[in-house]
Amino acid sequence: MIRIESRRSGINIVRFNAFERFVHWMTATCFIIMAVSGLNITFGKDVLLPLIGPTTFSSWTLAAKYAHNFLSFPFTLGVILIVLIWIAENIPNRVDVEWFKRGGGMVGQDRPPAYRFNGGQKGTYWIVVLGGTAAAVSGYLLMFPFYGTTIVGMQLAQVIHGVVAMLFVAAMLAHTYIGTIGMEGAFEAMGEGTVDLNWAKEHHSLWLEEEMARTGPDKLRRQPSATPAE
Amino acid sequence: MRAFLVACLAIVVVGTGGYFFLNAMQEPSGVAYATGGARISTSWVWRSVIGPNGADEPTTKTAQAGECDMRKTWQWIFVDFGKPDGESATCSASQ
Repeated sequence: MIRIESRRSGINIVRFNAFERFVHWMTATCFIIMAVSGLNITFGKDVLLPLIGPTTFSSWTLAAKYAHNFLSFPFTLGVILIVLIWIAENIPNRVDVEWFKRGGGMVGQDRPPAYRFNGGQKGTYWIVVLGGTAAAVSGYLLMFPFYGTTIVGMQLAQVIHGVVAMLFVAAMLAHTYIGTIGMEGAFEAMGEGTVDLNWAKEHHSLWLEEEMARTGPDKLRRQPSATPAE
Repeated sequence: MRAFLVACLAIVVVGTGGYFFLNAMQEPSGVAYATGGARISTSWVWRSVIGPNGADEPTTKTAQAGECDMRKTWQWIFVDFGKPDGESATCSASQ
C-alpha cells in the first residue's frame, strides 16, 4: 500500500463534488454488473453451469442478460457525462510525461507533481472513454441485430465487444485496487468527496496549489475525528 | 454515500426507461435474425478483399458437371488466400 508519508493532517480539501461522485458511481455500478453478467455470458457455461446446475444457471443467466441490456443505458449516459465533465483536465501534457518517467510515485519515495489528474489517472480516463464508447457501440449493434449492418458487421461487433470488454475489466481491476486498498486516503476522494491535505500535497501538488490560489485556505475543512500529524 | 444512493436510483430510473425502449424497438429474434442482413452472401468472401484474384472476377459461363476438379479439404482451409494453381475462374466461382 502507498501510504501518506507525512501522515494525515486532519484537514480535508474537496476533491470531487457531489455531481462528479454521482456520475462516477452510476457508471461504476453499471460497469460492475455488466462485467459480471458479461463474463457469465462468455464463461458461465463452462465455469458456473457445472457448479449450480442447469435450472439455477438458466434463471441467473436470463436475469443477468436482462440486466446487461437495461443497464447499458445508464452506463452509456455515465460515459457521456464523464467525457463532458472531465475531458478538459485529462488532456495529456508535459507534467504527465515527467510523472511517467518517475514511475508515477509508485516506486520508492518519489512523489512526482501532478495537476488534478496524474498521468495514470488520465490513462484510466481515456480507457473508460474509448473503451466505454467501443463497448457501447458494439453492444448496441449486438442488441439490434442487422440494423444497418450485415453478418460481417455482426461478427466484428461480437469480437470487438468481447476483446474490449475483457481489457476494460482488467484495467478497472487495477483502477479499483489503486483507488481502494492500494493507496491510503484515495477512496475518500470518491467516497466522501474530500481528501486529506497531506495526501493532496504528496500526490497532486500542482492541483493543490491551484485550488489554494483559487479558493484560499478558507475552503479547507478540519476533520474532528482525524488524527493530526505530530 | 448519498451520491452512491442517488446513482443507484438514477440507474433504476434510466434502466427502466431502457426496458421500455427495448420493448418498443427490438424485434423478436425470429424476425431480427431472418432479415436480408442475416443471410450470408455467396458472392462475398474475404479473398475478394485481401487477394489479388478476387472472387468478383466476372464469370460469364457456369462450369459443366465434371469439368472442374473438386477441391481437397486442405485447399479449402487456404481458400481466402487464393485459388489453387491452374483452376479456372469459372471453376472457382462454381465451387
